[in-house]
Amino acid sequence: GKWKNKERVLIFSSRGINFRTRHLMQDLRTLMPHSKADTKMDRKDQLFVINEVCEMKNCNKCIFFEAKKKQDLYMWLSNTPQGPSAKFLVQNIHTLAELKMTGNCLRGSRPLLSFDPIFDREPHYALLKELFIQIFSTPQYHPKSQPFVDHVFTFTITDERIWFRNYQIIEEDASLVEIGPRFVLNLIKIFQGSFGGPTLYENPHYRSPNMHRRLIKLSVAAKFREKQQVKEVQKIKKKGTKVLVEEDPTEVVFETPAEEKPVEIQLVKPESKPIVKDKKKLRKIQRKKQKKLFRTER
Amino acid sequence: QDGLKQCLAEFRQQLTWVERLDVTLGPVADPVSQNASTSDAVDPENDFQREMSFYRQAQAAVLEALPRLRKLQVPTRRPDDYFAEMAKSDQQMQKIRQKLKSKQEAMERSEKAKQLRAMRKYGKKVQVEILQRRQKEKKNMLNAVKKYQKGLSDKLDFLDEEQTSSQGNKKGNASQRTKKGPNAKRRYKNQKFGFGGKKKGSKWNTKESFNDVSSFQSKVAHNKGPGKGKGGKGGKKALNKRPGKRARQKMKNRAR
Repeated sequence: GKWKNKERVLIFSSRGINFRTRHLMQDLRTLMPHSKADTKMDRKDQLFVINEVCEMKNCNKCIFFEAKKKQDLYMWLSNTPQGPSAKFLVQNIHTLAELKMTGNCLRGSRPLLSFDPIFDREPHYALLKELFIQIFSTPQYHPKSQPFVDHVFTFTITDERIWFRNYQIIEEDASLVEIGPRFVLNLIKIFQGSFGGPTLYENPHYRSPNMHRRLIKLSVAAKFREKQQVKEVQKIKKKGTKVLVEEDPTEVVFETPAEEKPVEIQLVKPESKPIVKDKKKLRKIQRKKQKKLFRTER
Repeated sequence: QDGLKQCLAEFRQQLTWVERLDVTLGPVADPVSQNASTSDAVDPENDFQREMSFYRQAQAAVLEALPRLRKLQVPTRRPDDYFAEMAKSDQQMQKIRQKLKSKQEAMERSEKAKQLRAMRKYGKKVQVEILQRRQKEKKNMLNAVKKYQKGLSDKLDFLDEEQTSSQGNKKGNASQRTKKGPNAKRRYKNQKFGFGGKKKGSKWNTKESFNDVSSFQSKVAHNKGPGKGKGGKGGKKALNKRPGKRARQKMKNRAR
């Protein structure tokens, strides 16, 4: 057949990404035959430069990875000429090369896309679904693609995040093995234009990683401060001014001095107590005696 | 919200399903799920549950999509002779297979070790039992033999193969004891401690042995024998030769 659906996706990143992100990028490139690679972009340039880059490469979609502080990874998905774009925070990346992912698929085979029903319920999710479909589905009869359908991408919404998984279809009865990379997308914002423009949607549940770290540090600090405060309060209590009680004159009335005892001088040494080495044994003997008595009484 | 919808309307492409290959479905019903109430709210912290829900969602999609594809005559199964480049290189797959194999081997080894340990314990138990049984048998046998020697029983049940019947008969004729025989207490002690508890009793001072003067030799008694066998009687003579302590001291004092 003829290749009609001319989708091309540009996958590239900014500088300062770590090995995991780089591998993820490479994995995406191998999984999507309709993708193109580009060199790293300097972060000093503005984001709308990306549009020009895309146009030069004749791509109409783009996946851009941006790494900040060598810790946080942001992913932009965009439809370059004028379409919408979305920014996500990426977490929990596992790449193709991990030994626990035992599946394999043809390079360039077309994927099946599976979405959660929640995607149809909200308009912003519907928009994202459309974006995902256009970006991730390999066009039919693409020259680099293989005609078989042997793996499936799943996008699920759990815990206000989008979870991505890639499974290999082994049997027709839907037995699956996980192949491919996995990551979690946390939506930040959806823009009307590509890499800019008015904000169409802002995720209320999103908390930036900086904020997150700050909150953790604050909570730790708060705990410590609380402990200090409690200690201070205790110190004050201890030192605190003691109440002076006045002398009560009527107290003396009830005082009666004790009688004097006659002085006794002991001339005979008192009997020494038998030294009991084993109190338990003594007790045991006593008990036995009592038992005997009891029995004889009966 | 309206902006979103508008944008979506503009953005949406009119592609046939074959191009997009998307399926929107919830997960397949889990046959082993505990309650239906919790199946809706998948706990994201529970890793296993979460991954199972993803898996089932993928399964649902596959089950729905494959028949459609087949109807549209899009091939889904790769023929066996179709060789093409895979997403993961063969080297990678080899590594994965190695890892799995090593894990399995480790498990098997530990299983074997456990079994071996259990078997050894069992074997030891069996061995101990056998040894004990042998010892018991030996004890019984010895007791029975001793009984014969004392002449208590005249049955030869224990001697199946041995040929000491003649000896047994002799002993049997010699005595026809009464049923009581020794005391009950004596019998109990015999049974508990065996017959071998009492030794020969050859060194007792009984009436007979006291009156028996056959081993008296006057020469030895009066110390007058020749040095017949210095080795034999030398020790005694040598001893007698030596004077006593008092005599020795006297001699020493006299010498000084």
